[in-house]
Amino acid sequence: VNGNQERGWNDPPQFSYGLQTAAQGAPKRTPLNKRVPPPQLTGSPCPVPGDFPSATAPMTPPTNPLAPPCSMNTPPRPCPVAAPPLGGVMATPPPPFPVVEHTDSASSQSENEPDVDDVVTLLNWALTACRHTVKKQVCNDVAKRLKLFEDMWKSGKLSLPVRRRMIGLVQELKSCNWDAADEIHRALIVDHVNEVGQWMVGVKRLIAETRNLNPDLLHTQEVDQSLDTSSAGNSD
Amino acid sequence: MATYQEFIQQNEDRDGVRFSWNLWPSSRLEATRLVVPVSCLFTPLKERPDLPPVQYEPVLCSRANCKAVLNPLCQVDYRAKIWACNFCFQRNPFPPSYAGISDVNQPAELMPQFSTIEYIVQRGPPNPLIFLYVVDTCLEEEDLQALKESLQMSLSLLPPNALVGLITFGRMVQVHELSCEGIAKSYVFRGTKELSSKQIQEMLGLTNPSASGPQGRPAAPQDPAVTCRFLQPVHKVDMNLTDLLGELQRDPWPVPQGKRPLRSTGIALSIAVGLLEGTFPNTGARVMMFMGGPPTQGPGMVVGDELKTPIRSWHDITKDNARHLKKATKYYDALANRAAVNGHSIDIYACALDQTGLLEMKCLSNLTGGHIAMGDSFNTSLFKQTFQRVFSKDHNGEFRMAFGGTLEVSTSRELKVSGAIGPCVSLKAKGPCISENEVGVGGTTQWKICSLSPSTTLALYFEVVNQHNAPIPQGGRGAVQFVTQYQHSNTQRRIRVTTVARNWADAQSQIQHIESSFDQEASAVIMARLGVFRAESEEGPDVLRWLDRQLIRLFMFHLRRSPFLQVFNNSPDECSYYRHHFVRQDLTQSLIMIQPILYSYSFHGPPEPVLLDSGSILPDRILLMDTFFQLVIYHGETIAQWRKAGYQEQPEYENFKHLLVAPVDDAQEILQTRFPMPRYIDTEHGGSQARFLLSKVNPSQTHNNLYSWGQETGAPILTDDVSLQVFMDHLKKLAVSSAA
Repeated sequence: VNGNQERGWNDPPQFSYGLQTAAQGAPKRTPLNKRVPPPQLTGSPCPVPGDFPSATAPMTPPTNPLAPPCSMNTPPRPCPVAAPPLGGVMATPPPPFPVVEHTDSASSQSENEPDVDDVVTLLNWALTACRHTVKKQVCNDVAKRLKLFEDMWKSGKLSLPVRRRMIGLVQELKSCNWDAADEIHRALIVDHVNEVGQWMVGVKRLIAETRNLNPDLLHTQEVDQSLDTSSAGNSD
Repeated sequence: MATYQEFIQQNEDRDGVRFSWNLWPSSRLEATRLVVPVSCLFTPLKERPDLPPVQYEPVLCSRANCKAVLNPLCQVDYRAKIWACNFCFQRNPFPPSYAGISDVNQPAELMPQFSTIEYIVQRGPPNPLIFLYVVDTCLEEEDLQALKESLQMSLSLLPPNALVGLITFGRMVQVHELSCEGIAKSYVFRGTKELSSKQIQEMLGLTNPSASGPQGRPAAPQDPAVTCRFLQPVHKVDMNLTDLLGELQRDPWPVPQGKRPLRSTGIALSIAVGLLEGTFPNTGARVMMFMGGPPTQGPGMVVGDELKTPIRSWHDITKDNARHLKKATKYYDALANRAAVNGHSIDIYACALDQTGLLEMKCLSNLTGGHIAMGDSFNTSLFKQTFQRVFSKDHNGEFRMAFGGTLEVSTSRELKVSGAIGPCVSLKAKGPCISENEVGVGGTTQWKICSLSPSTTLALYFEVVNQHNAPIPQGGRGAVQFVTQYQHSNTQRRIRVTTVARNWADAQSQIQHIESSFDQEASAVIMARLGVFRAESEEGPDVLRWLDRQLIRLFMFHLRRSPFLQVFNNSPDECSYYRHHFVRQDLTQSLIMIQPILYSYSFHGPPEPVLLDSGSILPDRILLMDTFFQLVIYHGETIAQWRKAGYQEQPEYENFKHLLVAPVDDAQEILQTRFPMPRYIDTEHGGSQARFLLSKVNPSQTHNNLYSWGQETGAPILTDDVSLQVFMDHLKKLAVSSAA
């Protein structure tokens, strides 16, 4: 995603939370840290240590950067322009076909449109369990935000990536994978703060409170009932 | 270890240390002939994924004015269970818990591969980290909305048990109570009235007059009644704070035509510092200040509210026409020192199209280790992602930020410490290793670094004090020990100890060996830091004259070209911003700032580094330039025409598409991880943004500007074709001039 060129000149592109997190943990793929000695060396008698070492592996000596002019480097003409060298293919271009870029990688997942009720049911399952021990004020505040989330979904205000990722989040919640659910909430609020900013903190709190519950509370009769019913019942 | 290059690299990888000289001249007289002193770059918390911390206290030398830590250089008598300190030669008994050690059962800290080792220690109850947001509300609506969203988002990124607080300011300053229930309250302060720390604490109700002890004394930090109102655990107040942030309005005070909004930044900061001082002294805390323009009222104002009076430029400053500069700088300097004393760091996130006063305020971050981020608007990915990366985590999933750091340096007796340059303040500790010649922050062997990251790097300067005729045993080594105590982001207290040694050499007979141990890159950065330090603390022309005297003109010219001393092409704020990053980054990043990296992409082979020279700009090449602050992708003339004609869309020209994408892909890694986020410039031959590349490769522009600025340069510049390599060669040759 491109940066905001209206507000900031040369604004860098925006990366997703997941991409940045992965990049920060991993070693560099192609370190760009080499320099070239200039042609005019002063001929010092001593060996020159620290000769632009790379930060990682020992490097091979740099090659002469000024390669001879390419034979295909025809003088520029306004129109038609000399074509770039072909990758071993005949000069006559085949009929072009459009290249469509899929911005939503989730299209490879299930083709079914995510169902809001599935998500809300699971969220309410967790909230119901919390009501035993967590302060009423807090639970009501969470419920208020879950309602906002539901309303936004139903009125089409949430984009597909957000909806898909919320499905993933509640699945992790159901499986008691608290860290995974937490990480999804974090990715969502970083990547889509304008959509989720008002209600996501309720989900965040829900995860935090649910993980601290006595596991027995997660499977009381009334809780399981709320999971079984097809329509999400807000008991309060 | 065949070459010095390998030796240098291995030592950097293991200990985070790069010395200017890796063989030290054994006498003071010889050492003073070195233009580059014995000095090093040191990265206290260099990432060491392979170094597991040990869970016990370090063993210290018992001599009162030594206190060095047991290390691999110490002589050990395993039978008598005694060790000899390699710094002061005191013989110390091992503690009882070491009864079982032997030469085949060594504790880790004695093994050579643990020249760097980290200890986890128990020092009282763990203190939570504190994040205090100080937010300017004199922003345009779009900017405020974007900032609010970033702050809401950050609540999900904070360490879970952290305490969080909110101060907003415009014409007035509001300290918000973050109660869990009921109506949100705030305490309002006038933006013009300077208050003492005690007065601030009283007005916020932080002092308890009925408590035993002197009147007006702040209550103990652990007292929940005192702390609960303004600094609350984020896991308790995240929902309320999200709403509170969402409801923040622009400063209601109307801004007349031709005027700037009244911003009381100085008072807002003073309240933030005073609040933390009174509640959590000596605990890791970050004040994070977000501002969209300069301070325009109250103490610390940088410019008045009349738009027709522009904010000071370099021209104003040299003409002594910047009326608020001295007073404002002094004001923020005092605040910075107070914060540093308490171990609190201050970040500045300044987003505006014009200057915001970084020149006056930079000490707030430079002295405390806080960040400075500079952008055009809060509604840019540059700000948003830079801010996100403050909370970045390492491969272990732990936050990279660390707090409350102190660094103590011990040296063997032939060496003394002249000082340090980096994001630190002096702890003014007296000791036997202190040199009388001060370089940077001197007069001490202990410094405080309130906030640090794995890349934070200090430059340390030493003095050889051994007398000319005093013998040093053949093969004798000098040693330096760095002891860094800090609070890890998981609130553990840790101590990292690095002990290094280098051989002494007689300069008379071994001058060639000493020369071959010279680390050009480290020396370049070390001397450049010294130049920048002097430029910041003294008048500009004096620094350049000092450079003229100290070093060769080539070096001076090269440094002149850099953005650190090249003030005429950058505003005072921009200079402050670049210098802030230069004096704290590690060696690799610092070198990029002095001489940017240039890679060339073509059909003729894999991407290759090329000279930062106009001769590298060719029609059929794509260039990727990294200046640290900018990433520039420049398309040569022919490439640009092909791109415009759309060949990359055609399947049979897929190789061209790959060529276009290659530099973008390589830039991605840098863009995804660098802090701060760099600007990203995609340009081409004839493009307006091409100047970013052209100004770096073409020195003649700079050359002319030098003279138009009216600086006295002394002798003429030698040549326009000066490069890092050439200057380094000259530096090396002239650095050792024993033959006078």
